[in-house]
Amino acid sequence: MSEKASSGNLKEEASHDGENGQKPEELGATESSEQGEQEREPAPMTRRRPEPKAPAQPPAAEKVADSPAAAQTGWGYWGSWGKSLLSTASATVATVGQGISNVIEKAETSLGIPSPSEISSETRDATKGAGDDGTSFPIAGALGVLSTISTAVQSTGKSVISGGLDALEFIGKKTMDVIAEGDPGFKKTKGLMSRTATLSQVLREAKEKEEQQTTAEVAMATEKKAHYGLLFDEFQGLSHLEALEMLSRESESKVKLVLNALSGEELDMLKEEMEQLREAFSLAEFSEEEEEENRGDEEFIKEVTELFSELHVSTKPDKLITVRTSAHEWIAQFNVDLSKKEESEENQAESSDGEHAVKKSIEDIHAFAIRSLAELTACSMEMFHKTAALFLHGQNKDVTATGRAKSLSQVTILLCKELSTFSKEFTTCLTTAGVKEKADVLNPLITGVFLEASNSASYIQDAFQLLLPVLQISLIEARTELLQQ
Amino acid sequence: IKIIVIGKWRLGVGKSCLLLQFTDKRFQPVHDLTIGVEFGARMITIDGKQIKLQIWDTAGQESFRSITRSYYRGAAGALLVYDITRRDTFNHLTTWLEDARQHSNSNMVIMLIGNKSDLESRREVKKEEGEAFAREHGLIFMETSAKTASNVEEAFINTAKEIYEKIQEGVFDINNEANGIKIGPQHAATNATLAGSQGGQQAGGGCC
Repeated sequence: MSEKASSGNLKEEASHDGENGQKPEELGATESSEQGEQEREPAPMTRRRPEPKAPAQPPAAEKVADSPAAAQTGWGYWGSWGKSLLSTASATVATVGQGISNVIEKAETSLGIPSPSEISSETRDATKGAGDDGTSFPIAGALGVLSTISTAVQSTGKSVISGGLDALEFIGKKTMDVIAEGDPGFKKTKGLMSRTATLSQVLREAKEKEEQQTTAEVAMATEKKAHYGLLFDEFQGLSHLEALEMLSRESESKVKLVLNALSGEELDMLKEEMEQLREAFSLAEFSEEEEEENRGDEEFIKEVTELFSELHVSTKPDKLITVRTSAHEWIAQFNVDLSKKEESEENQAESSDGEHAVKKSIEDIHAFAIRSLAELTACSMEMFHKTAALFLHGQNKDVTATGRAKSLSQVTILLCKELSTFSKEFTTCLTTAGVKEKADVLNPLITGVFLEASNSASYIQDAFQLLLPVLQISLIEARTELLQQ
Repeated sequence: IKIIVIGKWRLGVGKSCLLLQFTDKRFQPVHDLTIGVEFGARMITIDGKQIKLQIWDTAGQESFRSITRSYYRGAAGALLVYDITRRDTFNHLTTWLEDARQHSNSNMVIMLIGNKSDLESRREVKKEEGEAFAREHGLIFMETSAKTASNVEEAFINTAKEIYEKIQEGVFDINNEANGIKIGPQHAATNATLAGSQGGQQAGGGCC
């Protein structure tokens, strides 16, 4: 289990390296202090070092993870979703998919040796960094590493799993050898390093640090049943997000082509229209005061359905509504069971033991909460993807792109609010069911629900932003048609 | 491994049925029109290795064609599907094939599928014609029936095997995710796309 976690971190770190802007400060701090301990260590090894932090959270989780106190004690931070997520939305877009797939890969393979492509980017980074102090090795060396690693991985096959740390070490050493072959100067540093620490030692240290974090332990125990990333993929959320990204990227390049081909007044006019469209894409901040508590079921359904009819496309948010409704029914049922139990406790003080069979454990609640969040988010991805496809398909031009953008931004806000409501309801269930539990068991579960709800909200907002180029293209097409008439 | 299913779909060559048969082992004669792309995934074992096939089932409608093109990227394989009871779906194969070749990796494994082999009495395209077309364009060929499940497993698995062999031969650069292949430590995964010539195109992507 812990090998898994440690190696998962390898990947995570690798993905963080790609997005330096978002890299949490703690990471940087740990890294540099480790570097201090083992001076002159070659950059590639340092970079592959696992981070002593909770396993298996997609990168987007970090911003909430920074404020666990807020997550546990109050609702205050929900209000800041709009602000913080909005500003980071575009930055996370590129990494969301990658983040999840890393996590999934990790969980699927139960041993997350960094994928060759990740290592390649790392080594390249390293090459860049090391260039200054003269320890750089040629890119050719880095490429050699790749092929050797993949062979190493393949040839070790199943023993990798049982071998755990040893296998990792083997691969690490192999890598070092190859690097050394590519660059004679590297041998010196390598020699120095094997005296200071072996990879497995490093990993074990990291593991120990990790174990100090109770959060991580509990998260690991419940990971199997309630792994957000895996579930999100299972519900095809990842595929829909990927497909949406493809459509978005293609539209983006088309938009660029069009803009390049235009000039003068025409360009200015188009730019102005596109600016309006972009404005429609800036989400209004959710303000807490306005947040209506306990909105009825019908209201959400009505609102979503109405907003969808405003889009004038043939998709309907039926699936989304079904998922949402069944989750609400589950919560309602839970509350009914609970009140029944209280009644019976009042009536006959000793009967509560018998009720335990009916009572859902906090793990069950947590698993269901994570599952619902993943499914709801996956459905949202599907909905946005289908909507994008239909926009591009050129269905029904009665509505302007800006009009559609406005409706979509309402949908996005509605979904995020819904997620927020869900996380509150689920955590209330957890709190009620877990009164007798210790805080260090209960709190991580509660935090987990908040964390994934917040993740869900960022995926949804990111997906919404991916629709901008798509609507830009449909705006351009509508204009062209108008001009031709 | 990402596999794309392509095919022209005026009335439906049965791409979505093929996928459903493969992933869920059931047949459902009536499907909603595919919008953009739908997804399916299944684990298979080749050579003792677990491979996750991620299948993108693309819309076959002509009007969706420019959209389905966007999905080709990242597919390691494609199933090009036509309907043996409809000559026109066979005639459109060339267009879909060109599309697929143009918008995807040149090493993409393409399998030609003549679907609805259970409707022998209404056959319009001879098996030999399918074979000849496949030979001419360097494709693998099979006739399937999504209804009776005949050859459905084989179609997907053979495509995956072909991709797997190409990986072993080093034809696919496994370090390039754009090829639709991701390698896990103990298993490789491939994406395959199903393509149907009848009018629908399906693209598939998968990772291992």
